[in-house]
Amino acid sequence: MKNILSVGFFLLGMVVFSYGQSAKEIVQKMDDNAFGGRLKSNMKMTIVRPKWSRTMELKSWADGSDYSLILITAPAREKGITYLKREKEMWNFQPSIDRTIKMPPSMMMQSWMGSDFKNDDLVRQSSVVKDYKHKLLGKETIEGRECYKIEMIPNEDAPVVWGKVITWIDTKDYLNLKTEHYDEDNELVDTNYGQKIQEMGGRLLPTKMVLIPADEEGHKTIMEYISLEFDATFDTRFFSTQNMKRVR
Amino acid sequence: MILKIAWRNIWRNKRRTAITAASIFFAVFFSVIMGAINRGMFDKMIDDSVNFYTGYAQVTGEGYWEERFLEKSFELSPELISNIEASPGVEGFAPRLESYALASVETITKSALVVGVDPEKEDALTGLSQRIVAGTYLNKEKDAVVLGEGLAEKLKLGIGDTIVLISQGYRGVNAAGKYPVKGIVSFGAPDMSAKIIYMPLKTAQWFYGATELVTTVVLDIPNKYAAEKAVNSLNTTLDTAKTYDVLGWQEMMPEIMEMKSMKESSNVIVMFILYFIISFGVFGVILMMTKERQREFGVLLSIGMKRKQLAIITWIETMFLGLLGATIGIVISYALVYYIYLNPIPITGDMAKAYADFGIEAKMCVSVDWDIFYSQAITVMLITTILALYPCIQILKMKPIEAMRA
Repeated sequence: MKNILSVGFFLLGMVVFSYGQSAKEIVQKMDDNAFGGRLKSNMKMTIVRPKWSRTMELKSWADGSDYSLILITAPAREKGITYLKREKEMWNFQPSIDRTIKMPPSMMMQSWMGSDFKNDDLVRQSSVVKDYKHKLLGKETIEGRECYKIEMIPNEDAPVVWGKVITWIDTKDYLNLKTEHYDEDNELVDTNYGQKIQEMGGRLLPTKMVLIPADEEGHKTIMEYISLEFDATFDTRFFSTQNMKRVR
Repeated sequence: MILKIAWRNIWRNKRRTAITAASIFFAVFFSVIMGAINRGMFDKMIDDSVNFYTGYAQVTGEGYWEERFLEKSFELSPELISNIEASPGVEGFAPRLESYALASVETITKSALVVGVDPEKEDALTGLSQRIVAGTYLNKEKDAVVLGEGLAEKLKLGIGDTIVLISQGYRGVNAAGKYPVKGIVSFGAPDMSAKIIYMPLKTAQWFYGATELVTTVVLDIPNKYAAEKAVNSLNTTLDTAKTYDVLGWQEMMPEIMEMKSMKESSNVIVMFILYFIISFGVFGVILMMTKERQREFGVLLSIGMKRKQLAIITWIETMFLGLLGATIGIVISYALVYYIYLNPIPITGDMAKAYADFGIEAKMCVSVDWDIFYSQAITVMLITTILALYPCIQILKMKPIEAMRA
């Protein structure tokens, strides 16, 4: 009798363990897949509004999530504008007036280049893995792919502006297909979709990201990767204010 | 017949008539002059404020005035222009593209109001070129700017220096540019002078990424009466439901209207005091007149004249005097006011300097609006009518024998 019970418990334990990955592990896998290491990319950003839309092209270099440099390459009016992020600080260089401006924290919630992204989104001080408590809510299908639906509540002292984040991560490839951001009053602020899943730079990724703010009718911002290079190499002085002016 | 008797009674004693009429004349004269000056000064103030910047009326994009977003700018289409030019009261127009920007020189940064203008049209409307105190006025071919004196001082800029401007443009594009300073203007109002940057319209349109767009069309209108006509006309010819707004100066400068009502209320108090003093003056004369004629009244009553009739005749006499004084008062004060209207009195000395600092011309102006004249005359007549009752009451109470012994 005792033997059967203990074997029973042991088996049960095995089942529980093999079921799995905790919500946190799922998120970790997604994060590693998408943003690990050094990344060089060409992107196209489209700002869509009810009466008009605008497109920009840019190049981006990133080392993990601590260092990044973005250069606008089109249209002509904006060409040459660069943004540099070093850990928690951000700079902006404007070639038409030959000025480098350090962006103060007060500017972080302002729109980046007129899009629906905020400056803060680029600076991204928080980690989806470390700064939240994760809870698996279940599974849902998005665009024919089965996804884990995970609720993330930020830790007390985490540098996160959201009250709650719900993310859908695909079960097969750990791709982030949808994310909803809620403010502290539990109101939906925006939704981010990962679409056009393709292989690029050697990995399978959603290559098109669509950000739709919740309270503006007909507004959205679309970011598409045109090319991606993982594990790129950078010179030690690449992420510097001097390089902001020289990068091409 | 009563009227004839009253009339003859007046002219029997010319001196008494003259004195009584004179006191009423002065009452009317002073209150009219004061009213004319107050109204005139006020109209001038409105005129100056309006012509200095906002104009008597503007056409803007629908919903623009509240928050002044660049998104509400519009194109100056030929159809809009022809509608504006066809409006009665409109003598011309000046288009503008206005928005905010950060202005910077080396380490100093200040917020500024950038106004893109058509240099000639703007000058025709506001006389901007006359306000240049250094350098030269805007040239539409050159991408050079003209700063307000206060701003130039804060940024420590002189002619030929470069000013850097940064802002968010139309539809969120990046707005950044540097421009040479070619002129400095001085305004009476210090807060305008500390923020304003004028540049040619095309330069501003490029800077904000708003090609061919304007935020407002300021209408060149000669005076506030024409303004009303123009606004009414444009409200019918333009699509004010969805595309445009037509704003009159009262909507654009509610502070002036508030100041005007405040001033008018305080004027009413002063007028009230004036009338009070005047009433005493007139009453004094009527009192004197009554006492003087006591014997006369006593005799008339004792030979059989009915009290009521005598009272009525006396009352009519006083009314005649009132009318006489008021009429002469109006005629002379009108003549004087009209003269000053055509030749405003220049203000000199320290007062002149104070006016110049505010950008208002140092002149004392008057208004020749009709209502000033007849409203004062009516008020004085009313006072006279009431005071004229005093002798009547005396007559009704009089004891003829005592009166004859006076």
